[in-house]
Amino acid sequence: MALLAEVVNGHDLLSVVWASLLAGLGLTGAYAFAILGGARAVDLSRSGRSAEAVIFGVLCALALAVVAAAVVYGIVIMVNK
Amino acid sequence: MHSDVIVVIVVATALMFDFTNGFHDTANVVATSISTRAMPPRVAVGYASVLNFVGAFISLQVAATVANDVVQPDLITPLIVFGGLIGAIAWNLITWYFGLPSSSSHALIGGLIGSAFAANGADAILGEGVVGKVMIPAIVAPILAFVVGGLGILIVYRIVGHQRPGLVNAGFRAGQVLSGGLLALAHGTNDAQKTMGVITLALVANGTISQEHFHVPSWVVISAASAIALGTYVGGWRIIKTMGSRIHKMDTAQGFAAQGSGAAVILASSHVGFPLSTTHTITGAVIGSGAAKRLSAVRWGVAGNIVVAWVLTLPAAASIGALTYGVTRIFGTGALGPVVVSVAILGGSAVMFARRAARGPTVTAPEAG
Repeated sequence: MALLAEVVNGHDLLSVVWASLLAGLGLTGAYAFAILGGARAVDLSRSGRSAEAVIFGVLCALALAVVAAAVVYGIVIMVNK
Repeated sequence: MHSDVIVVIVVATALMFDFTNGFHDTANVVATSISTRAMPPRVAVGYASVLNFVGAFISLQVAATVANDVVQPDLITPLIVFGGLIGAIAWNLITWYFGLPSSSSHALIGGLIGSAFAANGADAILGEGVVGKVMIPAIVAPILAFVVGGLGILIVYRIVGHQRPGLVNAGFRAGQVLSGGLLALAHGTNDAQKTMGVITLALVANGTISQEHFHVPSWVVISAASAIALGTYVGGWRIIKTMGSRIHKMDTAQGFAAQGSGAAVILASSHVGFPLSTTHTITGAVIGSGAAKRLSAVRWGVAGNIVVAWVLTLPAAASIGALTYGVTRIFGTGALGPVVVSVAILGGSAVMFARRAARGPTVTAPEAG
């Protein structure tokens, strides 16, 4: 147990857990919102509800921007590792 | 002259390990994309292969850490490195034979530990590094990825659950191309560099490179990147099948949740300086995305076999590494031992491939669709 406590930094471990949860759930959630926005925008514009379609289109664009930022940040992490 | 021949054999063996690494770990990157038909099999492995090659050039930081953290670097000789590599190659081939996704990095570390132990006893092993850099991450990675993958798919279903399947499936398939690309880059960055580190270590041990001016030569970077890319392109279809469809039948949302959350966990953990195994993370995320939908959807027998392979990786590769070192020393410290072992391992590999080929496709892509 003493060796474990010596080699495992509890703070690092906790950081891994929260960073992974944030990144994993953030990425999948943002992409799901992008799909929701895109799908709803298509459906609404087909049924002539342009104003609502634009709102969902914006949701899709914003969510895709979050995903793109996450991907770029991921590549930056790899480059600076 | 003797030592130069040994170094040439060690470099060739390291590149062979790198090939098996790409071949063995292709599944981590492409299995879910193939399973959900986000990409045709050959396109998926070609895409992963190119990005693995590119990833190998992104950073050289990992290359210096492999052997320095788990064994005493000043006690390392090219023969020890050779024993370690054979241990890793043999374990990769055994787990491929049974279609089990195990960590190539752990196999390499296990092989080096066993070989160094056989040569110099327990003093050669850095226990703190083995526990902190290998064993703890091996426990953390799959559990964390299981939770993130499971929660991820629940969130995804909650958000898009009532939408038309056509657009949703197309969207998640496109997302898998992106998340698969990130995974392939991360894999190339991590794993090709481990081989670069081992080759450089052998060059330092041989005196070809001075320890004070440790650097990874360009030819080492290019050859390691090429070997892992070629191995990835050949594709370990047996493990791809296990990861893509034998653990559970994935829908496109599950495929994206597993790959996306797996990539995010790998990169987030690298960011906070606690790198996790790609294999363990992706497998954990795949199981998590299945279990969150329905516990009975996961074939727990297959998952159990995978966990057993993970537990056995370090001791099994270490045992083979130690045995290899012992056998090479029977022939003295010259090049004869590595030559005899290399011929034996090539013969053994050929027999394994032949036996597998007799039962069905080994290295050929399955029919799409």
